[in-house]
Amino acid sequence: MRVIFYLFILFMIVAVLYMAVALLNKSGNTYEPYSKEDALGLPAMTIPEDNPLTAEKVALGRKLFMDRRLSQNNTISCAMCHVPEQGFVVNEIATAVGLEGRTHKRNAPTIFNVGYYKHLFHDGREFSLENQIIGPLLAENEMGNPSIGFVIEKINSFPDYQGLFEQAFDGQKANLERVNLAIASYERTMVSGNSRFDQWYFGKNEKALNEREINGFRLFSGKANCISCHTINKDSALFTDQSFHNTGAGWSRNNKVLSNLVKKEASKHTFPVSLAPGITVEVANDHFDKASETPKNDVGRFEVTSNPDDSWLYKTPSLRNIELTAPYMHDGSLRTLESVVDFYNVGGEDNPYKDQRMVPLGLTQEEKADLVAFMNALTGSNVKRLEKEAREAYFEAPVP
Amino acid sequence: MKLKESVVAIRKISQVALLGMGMMTLPLANADESSCSPFTPLVKGQEDFVYVWTLGVKGIGDESDKLVTVDVNPKSKAYGKVIAKTSVGGRGEAHHMGFTDDRKFMWAGALDSNKIFIFDVATNPAKPKLVKTINNFVPKTGLVGPHTFYATPGRMVVAALSNAKDHGGQTGLAVYTNAGEHVATYPMPTTNGGDGFGYDVAINPNKNAMLTTAFTGWNNYMADLGKLVKDPEAMKQFGNTTVMWDYKSMKPLKIFNTPGAALEARWSFKPGDNWAVTTTALTSNIFVYKQDDKGEWQQHKVGTIGDPAKIPLPVDIALIPDGKGMWVNTFMDGTTRFWDMTDPLNPKETYTKKIGSQVNMVSPSFDGTRVYYTTSLLGNWDMKGKADEQFLKMYHWDGKELKPGFEIDFYKEKLGRAHHMKFQVRDLKTLQPLQATVESKTKFASN
Ligand code: HEC
Ligand code: HEC
Repeated sequence: MRVIFYLFILFMIVAVLYMAVALLNKSGNTYEPYSKEDALGLPAMTIPEDNPLTAEKVALGRKLFMDRRLSQNNTISCAMCHVPEQGFVVNEIATAVGLEGRTHKRNAPTIFNVGYYKHLFHDGREFSLENQIIGPLLAENEMGNPSIGFVIEKINSFPDYQGLFEQAFDGQKANLERVNLAIASYERTMVSGNSRFDQWYFGKNEKALNEREINGFRLFSGKANCISCHTINKDSALFTDQSFHNTGAGWSRNNKVLSNLVKKEASKHTFPVSLAPGITVEVANDHFDKASETPKNDVGRFEVTSNPDDSWLYKTPSLRNIELTAPYMHDGSLRTLESVVDFYNVGGEDNPYKDQRMVPLGLTQEEKADLVAFMNALTGSNVKRLEKEAREAYFEAPVP
Repeated sequence: MKLKESVVAIRKISQVALLGMGMMTLPLANADESSCSPFTPLVKGQEDFVYVWTLGVKGIGDESDKLVTVDVNPKSKAYGKVIAKTSVGGRGEAHHMGFTDDRKFMWAGALDSNKIFIFDVATNPAKPKLVKTINNFVPKTGLVGPHTFYATPGRMVVAALSNAKDHGGQTGLAVYTNAGEHVATYPMPTTNGGDGFGYDVAINPNKNAMLTTAFTGWNNYMADLGKLVKDPEAMKQFGNTTVMWDYKSMKPLKIFNTPGAALEARWSFKPGDNWAVTTTALTSNIFVYKQDDKGEWQQHKVGTIGDPAKIPLPVDIALIPDGKGMWVNTFMDGTTRFWDMTDPLNPKETYTKKIGSQVNMVSPSFDGTRVYYTTSLLGNWDMKGKADEQFLKMYHWDGKELKPGFEIDFYKEKLGRAHHMKFQVRDLKTLQPLQATVESKTKFASN
């Protein structure tokens, strides 16, 4: 009798555990979008309580991210400006080109590790990935949708989405919130650590970096003081202090060029145009003016806060996968890591608001090369897989 | 055999003999009519209509891309007037057009929306009718920017500019049936010196040779020109090659280093001539392609247009019928230039005239006495503000001077940006027979 009672208790315990596991499974808590190894060197990510990661949501978010039909005229997906094979940026242009070729004044940042940022966009105007998505969907110079309803109705009408939102969201159809939840979920899985630096620094594998790269790290955290903004902590490294600084990048373009050069004088100044490999001509500054729209001004974080102290402050970007995400800075004005190091070596660009840490560094040619070598060792081990998964979700259908 | 029958027979024999002679001299038509395929019958007399593929502009009229028909027959009451317009919806970066091999249909492409509009231009040539829209160009080919539409027997070769994965310059050629069904896609070569860029295509059936040129991808051709030229990375993304293909097998024969984005490709149409010409947009050079004694295609740099240091941007070119001359337009200074091509390896510029603040396309009539000009290059490359003149202008050319005929202001008429032109006649029976030989027509029928 007693034996039976104990057996019954045991059975109940097992049953409760089983149900608990099943429940957990259903809410997706056991879904692991990336391995512990992929995240070596990265902190735990905060996942919003109301948007837990699930396999269905992430797959749906990835499909939406790759889908050109999400733009007004079916030509621009998120991935046309965040191209998987180009480090989830566009390597070939300084600043983005949007719907109907409209000019974007800023350089598209990567979405690798974007789930760790406290602020989004170069000026930090957005705080959550969920909200961020509304920006590009509606921006006239990005995906140019006339309204949110327009794009939602469209998604709901596509046969290839039949059932996908329902699967990911308890039987519910697409709406703005669920599009945001899905794309944000996908973006949070773009975790890319386990670089050779991580293996060396956090994984204690002495051979993961060579002498040059190790010296680069020493400079980064010592003489060059990059670490004061591109943070490395004891247990993890995001290479950003999640803050905003004025390095001077873009300052003169917005000030000197526009205000100091009177129209008459402009033709006396020239700029180089490369016509073909090895063929460069100097062209008068105003030669193309008639065929140019007026370049847009950019005042950085001031545009968000209206605080003059925030003029030309930009978010410190992470440096992970930096070798894949050229060109650099908010305006794409620096094309190589070498030119970025040269920029810092002279103390950035002088201006009245410049961060005090931006001082001439006195780096030798060797030291500059070492710094670049170090930055080239920050590439995640799963980059190819993330690229491939994104491309596999790409799909083209006839357009209306 | 009755007398009547024998006369018919003799007539037939003489027709065959004539055809045979045609085959021997292998005349290759390519007037502008000059951008027409040699497989398309030509307007050799007075053209009745000019079709202008027009870009919709925000703030102008219905803002939509449209096909504009202009009556250009001086005997007509509506001479020099717009007599029809068909809006196709949207602003998809309308660009170039091409006739099918029977000249009954005209394909018009859009470089952004990737739509291809097929117009019936035979039932009522005065009022073209949109009969089909190809909306699966991207899913079928992976390409973006359907640029050139080049007729071959029963087929249309479509040369693209970009691709849908990254909007860069890697691209290819697609082949469609006249009915609009996709047949095949050929990537531009990326090995043996190929850079994968594409733009125009022109075929010489007598030599089984196809010449392709190379421009740039969506990221650049859609961007503001001022932004583009100041972006050194973007400026690296232009094609620097041209390719001579074996047309029948669609295999690259030889890849040439042609720095600075070669655009329009044209074969001389003078009987017996077998050379082609192109100009480079960025470096302002003229290149001629000819076979050497061993039959190998060679590229010759034969001239420089304007002052290349000022980047005048040579855009459209057109050969005149006897192969002796070529019109070249430079976009930035709005100037048209006549080049004497009597000796294609030593051409000379003999005449220039400013047409407007900007000029892109040039289309001479078959006899060369009438020359038509339009203005738009690309929506975001065109001049801004006052300098953004948009027109169709017709001139008379006596071999020495261009004298104004008529002019239509495309902004005043609330039409948009005037781009590609094609000629048509009221009575298609007056079209001249194929200039490509019957032999070459049947030879390529399977492609
Ligand atoms: C036309 C090009 C373009 C398109 C399309 C586009 N983006 Fe962006 N994206 C940018 C640019 C440029 C920025 C920086 C803008 C700024 O800082 O003002 C950016 C910023 C971002 C950021 C912030 C990254 C950071 O480090 O702060 C995220 C996340 C992002 N985009 C995701 C998306 C998603 C999701 C979509 C599709 C819904 C999308 N983007 C579509 C160009 C584009
Ligand atoms: C005062 C803070 C600060 C210091 C010190 C600093 N950076 Fe930066 N870094 C920034 C900010 C802010 C940006 C973004 C600037 C912009 O977008 O215009 C940036 C951008 C970069 C970028 C381009 C990232 C991208 O994705 O575009 C690289 C690379 C970089 N820094 C490397 C370094 C190196 C190497 C050092 C040391 C020599 C260094 N930084 C020192 C704040 C700093």
